[in-house]
Amino acid sequence: MATATQSVSRKARWSPAKRRENLYGYLFLAPWLIGFLGLFLGPGLASLYLSLTKYDVIGTPEFIGAANYVKMFTDDDLFWPSLWRTFYFAGLGVPLGVLGSMALAILLNQKLKGISVYRTLFFMPSLVPLVASVVLWKWLLDTNFGIVNQTLIGFGITDPPGWFSDRRWAIPSLIIMRLWSSIGGTQMIIFLAGLQGIPEELYDACAIDGAGTWHRIRHVTIPLLTPTIFFNSVLGIIGALQTFAAAFVATEGGPGYATWFFSLHIWKQAFDYFNMGYGAALAWFFALIIVGLTIFQMRMSKRWVFYYGE
Amino acid sequence: MATSSTTAGRTQNVTIDRTTSATIRQRQRTQRTITYILLTVAGLMFAFPLYWTISSSLQTWQELRSFTPHFYPTAPQWSNYADVFQAVPFARWLLNSLLIIAITIPGTIITSTMTAYSFARFNFVGKGLWFVLMLGTMMIPATVTLIPQYLLWFKLKMINTYVPLTIGSWLGGSAFMIFLLRQFIMSIPRDLDEAALIDGANPFHILWRIIVPLMKPALTTVAILQFLNEWNDFFAPFIYLNRQPLYTAAVGLRYFQYIPLETNDPRDHLLMAAAAIMTIPVIALFAAAQRYFISGVVLSGLKL
Repeated sequence: MATATQSVSRKARWSPAKRRENLYGYLFLAPWLIGFLGLFLGPGLASLYLSLTKYDVIGTPEFIGAANYVKMFTDDDLFWPSLWRTFYFAGLGVPLGVLGSMALAILLNQKLKGISVYRTLFFMPSLVPLVASVVLWKWLLDTNFGIVNQTLIGFGITDPPGWFSDRRWAIPSLIIMRLWSSIGGTQMIIFLAGLQGIPEELYDACAIDGAGTWHRIRHVTIPLLTPTIFFNSVLGIIGALQTFAAAFVATEGGPGYATWFFSLHIWKQAFDYFNMGYGAALAWFFALIIVGLTIFQMRMSKRWVFYYGE
Repeated sequence: MATSSTTAGRTQNVTIDRTTSATIRQRQRTQRTITYILLTVAGLMFAFPLYWTISSSLQTWQELRSFTPHFYPTAPQWSNYADVFQAVPFARWLLNSLLIIAITIPGTIITSTMTAYSFARFNFVGKGLWFVLMLGTMMIPATVTLIPQYLLWFKLKMINTYVPLTIGSWLGGSAFMIFLLRQFIMSIPRDLDEAALIDGANPFHILWRIIVPLMKPALTTVAILQFLNEWNDFFAPFIYLNRQPLYTAAVGLRYFQYIPLETNDPRDHLLMAAAAIMTIPVIALFAAAQRYFISGVVLSGLKL
């Protein structure tokens, strides 16, 4: 009661300009706000509740407390392996991708004749729709008829890997595909922008010092690119941890669960077995992992990311 | 630290500069050669899979399934491209993808511009909180909200409609695009708004007459990003559409992976042709609007 009158009196004291700011601010914000509450916050909280229930769509959700969370840690054979696999994929794929894009951007940032042709060339694979590049790489890496293995056999390697059909090689195959389609794409464009932001005078100073190319890259380019490396790594990890389509279209999580990533596990539980409660618990656990990891990266960034001029 | 050491080095090295300039030039030349060699080798490796798609799409499956690789088709099978449309309703699926794109692009453009305008130009209560929450949505995996969303659409009998796939774009679109547009609006001088305000224009007029005309490059970028997102999207259509005629191209492409029981013939050649067909619109878009792909992301304030 007291707070209500207080807010009314405060509103009365608002100047017309301030009232206008609030009115129009919320008016223009309205579509997003409805979407945020109805498609994000509401469902997010609903899934938190569902995660504490047993629910198979047909009946009503039955409250079971933390049982779903206990189950995932103690009574789900696929839980830890799928989590570990997801981290293996992201932990190997993202650093390789970021380093590859950076190296390529450094090569392509030189003032050389015809360089824009090369930029376009490296950008092309990122235009291929993900599903199309998956089927393409499955074909290139086909055990018997793929050009990669036929070439390897031509070079005298009699027993080339089975790639997507070999449990040990399935994730590396996905990583190879991912590198091909992402190294020259947006990530590299962001690196190019970062490179163009490096003040010319620092390179001039290097030239006068007689510093070699490697020295220049090591002591000027890379330190000044750390904000870009950080940005690309954070976005890359968030994306790679959620990989679904690539693994699903390539192998449906196989062979023998070799590419059974965490998001496949969630999907299978929720949309194939209709264990909605358990699926929601898995999804919430996964969200906490991703948010925690992102916050951790932001904390750590203070130790290695260098902002020039600050 | 770094600057002080370089200035010290500068005075020291000026005297020996001239004698070394010849070797420096020599070094630059070898460096340039190495760069070209590296770029050409890597470039060929990157381009090869694209060539291979086209080449494979023009061969017969018997040719593809031989133990010696055929680098180019002995007789180009252009009919493969027609067969793609015969084997499955691929034309329908492509049109479905385009329909979804046609619904979501105006939605994203209108509502994310409104949101961006709100964040960029008005000081309302709670703005900071909403802004942080909006950015936060970028790191939350879609699966967290997916299950209740699915149940909601299920209860509303909207599974197997395009409503779940398109409604989000009419309610603000993605956080990334809002952020991109907000940065862009913030770079437009406020003087223009204020002059119009004095002339008696209301915020709707200002947005429509002053801000939007200046936002064309940013809005083109958003439209392109939206096109690519929808064209590539696999997960949402895969979850919400389970009737074949409603599929999008990205979901339907998988159907060539299965060997049909009636004929028992592999369909790798059709799969490659379908993959090429799916890629062509994107390449065409890139050719038409290349600078937005290259600079759009960057100029709109992704710089850190």
